[in-house]
Amino acid sequence: MLSYVLAGLGLGSIYAIAAGSLVITYVASGIFNLAFAAMAYSVARFYYWLLVEEGWGIVPSAAVSLFVFAPALGMFLYAVLFRHLRLRSTLIKLMATVGLSVALPPLIQLVLEQPTNTQAPGLAPRPLDVFKVFGSTINADQLATYIGLVVVLVVGVGLLRFTSVGLKVRALVDSEALTSLSGTSPGKVSLGVWAASVTLAGLAGILLAPTQGLSVQSMTFLMSAAFAAVVAAKLRSLPLAVGVALLMGVTTNVLEKYIDPSSTFGAVIKPAIPFIFMLLFLLYYALRGQAGDLVAGGALDRAIATQGGDPSVVSAVAGGGSNRRFLNPGLLAGVIVIGIFAMLPGMLDKFWSGLLAGGVALAIALLSYTLVVGEGGMVWLSQITFAGGGAVLSAELVRNWGWEPLVAVLVAAVIIVPVGVVIGLLTIRLGNLYIALVTLTFGSLITTLVFRRDPYYNFGSGQPMPRPEYATTNDDFTYLALAVFCILAILIVNVRRSTAGLAMSAVRFSESGAKTLGISVVQTKVLVSGLATFTAAVGGGFIAMNAGSTLPDSFDPAVGLVWLAVLVTMGARSNIAALIAGALFVLMPQIFQIYISTDLGDVPTILFGLGALGLALHPEGTVVQVGNNIMSLYRKLFGRSDPDPEAPVPPGTPGAALPDRDEADNPLLTPTARGGSATIPAGGQA
Amino acid sequence: MSTALHAADATVPGTEVPRLEARGVTVRFGGLVANKDVDLAVGSQQIVGLVGPNGAGKSTLFAVLSGLLKPTAGRVFMDGDDVTGTSAQKRAARGLARTFQHPELFSSLTVREHLVIAYRMKNAKSRIWTDLVNFRGFANSPKAEDARVDELIDSLQLGAIQHRPAAGLPLGSARLLEIARALAREPRVLLLDEPSSGLDVRETEEVAEVLKSVVRDHGVSLLMVEHDVELVLGMSDAVHVLDFGVKIAGGTPAEVRQDPAVRAAYLGEEIEKPAVQQAESEIEQGELA
Repeated sequence: MLSYVLAGLGLGSIYAIAAGSLVITYVASGIFNLAFAAMAYSVARFYYWLLVEEGWGIVPSAAVSLFVFAPALGMFLYAVLFRHLRLRSTLIKLMATVGLSVALPPLIQLVLEQPTNTQAPGLAPRPLDVFKVFGSTINADQLATYIGLVVVLVVGVGLLRFTSVGLKVRALVDSEALTSLSGTSPGKVSLGVWAASVTLAGLAGILLAPTQGLSVQSMTFLMSAAFAAVVAAKLRSLPLAVGVALLMGVTTNVLEKYIDPSSTFGAVIKPAIPFIFMLLFLLYYALRGQAGDLVAGGALDRAIATQGGDPSVVSAVAGGGSNRRFLNPGLLAGVIVIGIFAMLPGMLDKFWSGLLAGGVALAIALLSYTLVVGEGGMVWLSQITFAGGGAVLSAELVRNWGWEPLVAVLVAAVIIVPVGVVIGLLTIRLGNLYIALVTLTFGSLITTLVFRRDPYYNFGSGQPMPRPEYATTNDDFTYLALAVFCILAILIVNVRRSTAGLAMSAVRFSESGAKTLGISVVQTKVLVSGLATFTAAVGGGFIAMNAGSTLPDSFDPAVGLVWLAVLVTMGARSNIAALIAGALFVLMPQIFQIYISTDLGDVPTILFGLGALGLALHPEGTVVQVGNNIMSLYRKLFGRSDPDPEAPVPPGTPGAALPDRDEADNPLLTPTARGGSATIPAGGQA
Repeated sequence: MSTALHAADATVPGTEVPRLEARGVTVRFGGLVANKDVDLAVGSQQIVGLVGPNGAGKSTLFAVLSGLLKPTAGRVFMDGDDVTGTSAQKRAARGLARTFQHPELFSSLTVREHLVIAYRMKNAKSRIWTDLVNFRGFANSPKAEDARVDELIDSLQLGAIQHRPAAGLPLGSARLLEIARALAREPRVLLLDEPSSGLDVRETEEVAEVLKSVVRDHGVSLLMVEHDVELVLGMSDAVHVLDFGVKIAGGTPAEVRQDPAVRAAYLGEEIEKPAVQQAESEIEQGELA
């Protein structure tokens, strides 16, 4: 039993380092670092390069990787990205870290290339020493992990609790504005926090690589598992995060004593343990009403925060309500873009038309993000899993029952809908950050339990999924996919313009306001969840039909992050953006490989990630931005002057001018009420 | 501002059963007692004021009355029915509407769309589902809906900004929009949390007139939290005073004006000012005469 516990503590220690790092970073910066896995991979890859490829010793490799490269990377990322994110909306923060997680690994691989062997050595010398502890054996890698955790805890807690640096960090957490007023530079403190955060991520990556492999996928799985401990800690309690992480590790290994890991049940239960932990804690907190998003900073920070910034809010405001008019510039742009897509198949050869068909199929799946993120304002990271579910299930219906492929895709999508609805109901009381964590963990779980298991995996090629008989050629299939895309896009426009769309916007921006109008929050969120899940599953079926097979690896949650990054870069609330994003995702890597260099195939992925990072500056997305520029040019050229929704309110509008009476003398008035020019930020709070 | 506003069902004034009643409401947040054993009743066609300094528990009591917060103890009744355990949504269906201290608007919706969704939640709730299948999202709004929304927009002078998104509206416009949105539901009981905050004197007077007309002509009952004490005392049939979560006084405005505890603790100068001004005015007039 002791040997199981010791082995479990090894795994738990890695979870604990990851969870502890996520909590410390969140507490100190207000940003939940979804790029943790990318950072862990980057530092571990650099360590591997020094140690194996350059032939350095373990100590200098570790020292340079952890104390030079990692802090430098952290400081660089703070300077170019994270300093712009504090007090931005949760959606923007998450998307920026998603963008980083997408861009960083290929950037590192571009410089250092893919590792030749993913079984990388850790911090212990090879061959591994073995030690006897209370009759059980542990190896030097495990010992290094225990020591790593202890060092992290002692140094981390010691610094935070007992030093002036720690005091400044904790002050910064409570209020950046007030901390700066007291003479402390928030920038310097945050710089240190991010340097330390990347170092911790790197340590977790180096410790994990020997057992789980030096790959982004293994690091992403580690991060997803660590989310359970982070959720248990309600994002803030370091001791609870570490305790739960260790408990998860021990539970996972001790179960092996009682359940044969090679049995079907054993194979299912082991990877599900972090998700079970997360589910139990979430239910506990949700029932106690304690699972809302935390608000970063103090009152002063919120008062001076950048207003708006949420991609879909910005695009909605930029539309000025005109998007609900039947004839508007957006519709015209949509018709033109779809017209171009309709003309392309006849102009392309078989190779490029096949890619185009794949792009349009992907665009269908991306419409699910348009619904759930753009309309619902919820950061769901499991849409790719629903797409994978649609692909697998429709292939099963075709293979086992001989169904017509398109019918199978639609029926499979309907069958998947309840899964999305259940996820929607489970996360109904949660804030956006929790929703992102739960959905990403759910995606990882389903990938491990279903997509990577036979008969669905089948050595990575999955199950065959034919195209319909009337659309076997690339051109015909493109037209079929484009028709389905148009139908779903019209449905989404109808939803946006309908009473349901108004209710979704109401619930999204003020649940309290919506409830007092009699709008059912549950009904509205279930509606968004169901529609988005259906759309994702249909998209997954089309992706499989286009490829002729389900290809389960193409539905990995890590790939889903890239999908989302591409979509929000183009525009989270635009159907046309989804179509363009789908095409770019498929075509760009080939264009780079064929016309520029075969070594630059990953550059588009880096660009997609950088695009998502750019959301902090241009939340509306590229398509809306370009559209607005064209409209401005049109107005200049033809002298049209449509009302600008962001222009100052007309004179005489109530509250536009300062109140006449001397409210400063009224002790009963709140500061907000005194400020006649106070405006309502995007969150709906004055 | 026009006062042509639609009616909730007109109820005979002086009905025995209050439209909204709190009995012994207590709310605790850990060790903090936000409301302690508060009683309050709003009869039909009554305007009831609720005053008290910051932190007195007024907004907490509003949250309890509107169903956004469950009380630790005590009951809430609507038309004599116990609604303590019912949701805000169900209370809205029974005719309760409210505004918020910090306007709770829907940032991406235009001013007009706020009123449209409120109107439909009252008059065409099933459209949340039916619009999806009959594609009414692409059709024009029904004439009755347009007429009602136009009427409210005119009444509260929101015409110039009716197609603007709520994000970025000045505070005064936001308050008027909240009032218009609440009225679009044709409520029987309307809870107003600081309706005049952010408005100038003229706008405050106009809003007061609109509210009085709603009560007078259409039988709506009002419960109003307001820092403008003169506005409350001038409009209300009854006033309740809270201090640290406890109701320290209640009665007609005249009774509350005379209450020593209230005068000493909260209204001293606010009450005295008009009296002093009136005396000064009389002296001036005497001198001129």
